[in-house]
Amino acid sequence: MYKLRVNGLSAWFQNKQVLFDIHLEFPEKKVIAIIGPSGCGKTTFLRCLNRMHELTPGARVEGKVILDGKDIYSEMDAMEVRRKIGMVFQKPNPFPHMSIYDNVVAGLKLMGIRDRKILDGIVERKLKEVGLWDEVCNDLKRSGAQLSGGQQQRLCIARALATEPEVLLMDEPTSSLDPASSARVEALIRVLKNNTTIVIVTHNIQQAARISDFTAFIYNGKLIEYGETKEIFESPKDPLTEKYITGRFG
Amino acid sequence: MGVSIEEYEDKINSTIMEMTELIENIKDHVLHLLRDKKKGLLPLATELCKVAQIKEEKVMEFCIEALIRLQPFASDLRKLTTSMKVAYDISRICRYLRNILEVAEEFDISKCDTSEVLSLFENALSMIISSIRSYLQKDFETSRNVIKADELIDQKYRKILRKLASEDVEHTCILFNGLAARIIERMADHACYIANETAYLLTGNRTL
Repeated sequence: MYKLRVNGLSAWFQNKQVLFDIHLEFPEKKVIAIIGPSGCGKTTFLRCLNRMHELTPGARVEGKVILDGKDIYSEMDAMEVRRKIGMVFQKPNPFPHMSIYDNVVAGLKLMGIRDRKILDGIVERKLKEVGLWDEVCNDLKRSGAQLSGGQQQRLCIARALATEPEVLLMDEPTSSLDPASSARVEALIRVLKNNTTIVIVTHNIQQAARISDFTAFIYNGKLIEYGETKEIFESPKDPLTEKYITGRFG
Repeated sequence: MGVSIEEYEDKINSTIMEMTELIENIKDHVLHLLRDKKKGLLPLATELCKVAQIKEEKVMEFCIEALIRLQPFASDLRKLTTSMKVAYDISRICRYLRNILEVAEEFDISKCDTSEVLSLFENALSMIISSIRSYLQKDFETSRNVIKADELIDQKYRKILRKLASEDVEHTCILFNGLAARIIERMADHACYIANETAYLLTGNRTL
């Protein structure tokens, strides 16, 4: 069953087209890696999946992104889209003036949830889900910015998960982390996919091979190849994919 | 200092060529046995097989080192996985060749007609040499021909078994020819495995 379908997606910055007629289908509760060289449109593609691209002045999108049968551009409101399709960014970005607790509940408060007991329960559950609870449970009022890089990223994932998104977009979530912190985030991704569809942009093709079920290779804004990760990394069909993943270019 | 996949490939293929030379050596002993009923070659073949096994382990070490250091994908990954399987198959063929000599030690085959087993052996040998050549030279056509040739081996093998079952010959000859034919048929299977792996290395498909 497909959670998310992308039909004929194209995107522009001003007059410059950066994505060209992309068609993709993301199965539910799987990890899908988006790979490709710098500047190929991976991040733009990811930002189109939860209507963040349209926040950039002069940016434009055509085509459809269908979440559970509804086009997120024509049949859903942007806030609802971003609640159902969460995002984790390249650099950990906890709200610097907020405590760990307030970082986790920020999205929930925006949704109007104020009941302290409910919020307490969600904070504990989400911090446990990302493996941070034991490290911070005695100090939830501490600023999120005081945590280590790896902890900050897991806090951001907890924040993204707090609103129970059905799809989680991750834009190079481990690129600024040390190997141990990266490994924890990767382990977390493997657990999260039990309940969530995850789309991850990564420059690290070894990481894509390790954690994803499906892989899409984008080059110059075009989808070159998409398939099961094992197939893509063992026997890619397109010579461009072969060249990229064997390090012959990119 | 970094080592490229091409450098690993060179080291691996050199070792596989050395393994092939060992096969060439042991096969001459088997030919002597089947043509001239010459025995007593088992100890030397056993030593050569041990060397082949050491070389197989060397290929495995190169491949594992390359996997760890380069973490390769696509055709680079297939080069390593194929090499490991080819090295295993060659080592296995060595042991099968030795098995024929070993079986011969158990029986008096001086009066046995081994001509059909010899013919089967020559066909299998041709497949083995071609399969290794197809791998080393990355020759898809030859790998395909090896796989096709296996049909002939199977036909000849079944013909030998039927003949042994129906002919009134000495039990020792039935046993030797039957066992040797079976071993040779298995050797040809390993030649097919090498050819199949080569096709996979070259195309990424396991369709042959």
